[in-house]
Amino acid sequence: MGFPTAPLVTIAFEGLAKSNAASRGMPLERICFLPHPMTNKTDEEMYQVLLGNDPVTNKPLMPEVIAALTQPLTADEKKTGSISPDVGPAMYSDTADNLQRYYADNNLTDFMPIILPTEERVQAMLKGTSHSPDEIVGKLSAAKGAFPEWSFNVRQVAINAVMAGAQPEFFPVILAIASTGQPSLFSSTSSFARMVVVNGPIRDKIKMNYGIGAMGPFNDANATIGRAWTLLSKNLGGCGMPGQTYMGSQGTNLNYNNICFGETEDKLPEGWKPVHVQHGFKPEESIVSIYSGWSLTNVCFFAQIPIHEVIKNWMTHYFSTGNGSVTLMLDPTVAADIARHGFGTKEDYVDYLEKNTKTPAWLYWEMVRNGKEQAAKGVEPFASYLKMGDDAEIPFNRFVARAPYGAPEGGHRSAVEIIVLGGETNTYWFGGDFGYMMSASIDKWT
Amino acid sequence: MKINRRKLLSLIGVSPAILAGSSAVGEPAPKKARMASGPVKIDALNPKGMPPSVQLIPMAPRLDTLDGKTIYLVSDGFAGADRFLNQIAIWFSKNMPSVKTVYRLKAGGLAGDDPALWAEIKKNGNAMIMAYGH
Amino acid sequence: MGFPTAPLVTIAFKDLAKSNAAGHGMPDLRVCFLPHPMTNKTDAEMYQVLLGSDPVTNKPLMPEIISALTTPLTADEQKTGTVRPDVGPPMYSGTQDELQRLYCDNNYTDFMPIILPTEEKVEAMLKGTSHKPDEVVGTLSAARGAQASWSFTVRHVAINAVMAGASPDYLPTILAISSTGQPSLFSSTSSFTRMVMLNGPVSDQIKMNYGIGAMGPFAEPNAVIGRAWTILSKNLGGCGVPGLTYLGTLGSNFNYNNLCIAETENKLPDGWKPFHVQKGFKPEESVVSIFSGWSLNNVAWFPNMPYHELINNWLTHFFSFGTGAATLLLDPTVAREAKEKGFNSKEDLSDYWSKNSKTPAWLYWDTHKNELTQAKAGVEPYASYLKMGDADLPFQRFYRRGRFGGPPEPNPKSSIEIIVLGGETNTYWAGGDFSYVGSASVDKWR
Repeated sequence: MGFPTAPLVTIAFEGLAKSNAASRGMPLERICFLPHPMTNKTDEEMYQVLLGNDPVTNKPLMPEVIAALTQPLTADEKKTGSISPDVGPAMYSDTADNLQRYYADNNLTDFMPIILPTEERVQAMLKGTSHSPDEIVGKLSAAKGAFPEWSFNVRQVAINAVMAGAQPEFFPVILAIASTGQPSLFSSTSSFARMVVVNGPIRDKIKMNYGIGAMGPFNDANATIGRAWTLLSKNLGGCGMPGQTYMGSQGTNLNYNNICFGETEDKLPEGWKPVHVQHGFKPEESIVSIYSGWSLTNVCFFAQIPIHEVIKNWMTHYFSTGNGSVTLMLDPTVAADIARHGFGTKEDYVDYLEKNTKTPAWLYWEMVRNGKEQAAKGVEPFASYLKMGDDAEIPFNRFVARAPYGAPEGGHRSAVEIIVLGGETNTYWFGGDFGYMMSASIDKWT
Repeated sequence: MKINRRKLLSLIGVSPAILAGSSAVGEPAPKKARMASGPVKIDALNPKGMPPSVQLIPMAPRLDTLDGKTIYLVSDGFAGADRFLNQIAIWFSKNMPSVKTVYRLKAGGLAGDDPALWAEIKKNGNAMIMAYGH
Repeated sequence: MGFPTAPLVTIAFKDLAKSNAAGHGMPDLRVCFLPHPMTNKTDAEMYQVLLGSDPVTNKPLMPEIISALTTPLTADEQKTGTVRPDVGPPMYSGTQDELQRLYCDNNYTDFMPIILPTEEKVEAMLKGTSHKPDEVVGTLSAARGAQASWSFTVRHVAINAVMAGASPDYLPTILAISSTGQPSLFSSTSSFTRMVMLNGPVSDQIKMNYGIGAMGPFAEPNAVIGRAWTILSKNLGGCGVPGLTYLGTLGSNFNYNNLCIAETENKLPDGWKPFHVQKGFKPEESVVSIFSGWSLNNVAWFPNMPYHELINNWLTHFFSFGTGAATLLLDPTVAREAKEKGFNSKEDLSDYWSKNSKTPAWLYWDTHKNELTQAKAGVEPYASYLKMGDADLPFQRFYRRGRFGGPPEPNPKSSIEIIVLGGETNTYWAGGDFSYVGSASVDKWR
């Protein structure tokens, strides 16, 4: 920068701060640490922090901050040049047991057993694509802009696909997912979840499950493709290092498989198009589509009112992190029922939901933080809304089409995304705060 | 403060593609594994537990005709089953009017047993049609 | 039964009906099939079904039903005796790759790579417990009463633990889970989700991750123990065979890992007891606790109100399969804030939520049809509820129900469980419709 700086960071981010400094070329940056959290401290409490100690060094804080700016640089701190990371030897020879241990201990897996990537197995996997092993597939990072981007080639994806237990015929799907540049493990403190939906002829070719138990562990394509995404995000993007490139406070169980399944295209009601066709692809193209969100609600409910109204009510009252995005996952029997009630396309139903969902009063005033102030001045519609009371349903639709964080510009988005899948054993459905990110061609990678 | 240089270096994310000189020199993470060449056979155990043996139950003898008989129409509680069985009663009244039908809802939900009902059917009826879940 | 029966089953349950009949000793039961679903057909449509054909045999339906009751029994149908199920040979021989494929094709796995269970590995695993290999641990079934109950020994559990990738020191925990008799894959069409939580010294002994990314794939015991439960449910309980012992129409992505977590006991606020202590165990006992539900909302939200009020609002509006029970997983920072606001124990907070959360009007009326009639007749409080329109009704739904058919309790206990979990990177929490099923001692299996 050209002038001395003294960065102060709360202790929760100690590892992250140090590695960040190092990756930007200043491994010895003089960072001083503070207790965590600071956000909810009063002014008085914050002053006390200044009079106390750095929780990492246990030295008095203010003198440390002053020293950071005034103490002359050491020889080490003045060093220039470049550092090449050491990624280890080309080949590792040992027993199968020792190798499983090695990969796990070096954080190269999701902590479950892998298929060890021998040269033979990687060669077999590479036969699943016509692309050359050295071709660059794309770039991955734990959070674009905040973390360095790693680029990677076809061969590296193959190694991770072997580890996941995938078959060579699944390889084009895994390459397509990798090519999106979206990691399955985003760094945020809020524990993002991802979903990957497959459309087109590839589903039947590799026997994906979109019937009974579609989202569960009942099929090797669904299981290993989903898992491969997590493995390659770690190894080819540097994601998933807790405290450094992964900060999700509680984590999410959905990261194990990343909700990987195929849409049930042959059971779509007349007029309802598959996801990939909605996004401009031809029906005979094989496509992966990526979604991003946090939560899934599983609804099995026999109501007096039609299902399309139950879903509307669920949406009105739904509260989760992604508060204005919804993806609906409907069993074919539910889709059929909704279609029978006059919704000739997915878009028709989305239209109905946009027009008829409301927002509970408590949530409305949470979202519109200066709303009550304006209501007090008599500004509409806030004044009328306020009169409706604390328990009312405000006639405000909060579901609008928006791009999730990290999604590329452009592309067709809907306030409500609809996917159809399931084994028709009952009229059940899922809903979650997921938004559509992007799609990629699988055919390109065959 | 002391910095563990080795640990730091491993924290730096740099494109493995940039690092790779010739593929013989540097293989980017993750590493490949070399194991004993040739497919070695191993013996692995069957993971299944102990499912119970099944005692075969001989089926009850059939009726020679339904005419003049009493058939119990039993619902297992699945939504709409009662209406469906009523349609069956209507069918009999139109097509086989000598057949008597009696409607009952089985106790205990989908999987429950209803010995009182079976005793009643045995005493007062000749056969049962049940609908329609599992 | 002593009289001829003609069971009618909808075609969605074709395989299940046949295997169920066989399981009860009547493999040749004369089942007739109907189209699916039947539930939403009108009376006229149902009559048409009777005039149509059995969708499996394509023969006219009513004649088929009559024939089921009248055509004389065949020799096969008159057979008696015992049928012993065939579980296959005790040992399989092959190369690593062949065996991975075979175990997968035989539905012995969750479709991800396993550690092949050689005699040597199983012997090593058995060192993780003092119990004898032939000791019967318990029974498991995909649905007690409706599906067969299988029994299994310590050795069987050890084989499945090896497959999951467990080390011997995880065995007591895995044995404890299996000893509860709860499968991770329940047969229901509603796609149940399970959660298993560890408490006590075992969490640190086996190095469970209860910090950053606690619910995600970042530590071996979390990943492997959760997975072991699914694998052993399949092999030792006959669960997870789609169409036969697993009918979940969309499946649940949580079945891959079964939300395997350990409570963050070292960050509990003063006066907040660990979960197992709440359930009557001593702090120094190691315990697994099982929960059952369907959905989990992951909420990353900075509210304009204290967190306990935010969560109260979420509870009021939460709609999922389970509408009368909930489990909250609070990051330690959120627990701390609640304590600062005066909730000196988990029980205090749970009671507050149980008493102060409300019920959306649409949901109340849909599940209280009797009360709607009374409301229209002017009976209180229902008449006043009805006047409130769409607003949230002051009706408390999160309480433990008493004996089925018994009188309502005067002071009902809360049905909300509280778990503290997370790495304190932010004030986030997760909530779902989980209810507590039971606990088992890990120490017993050391």
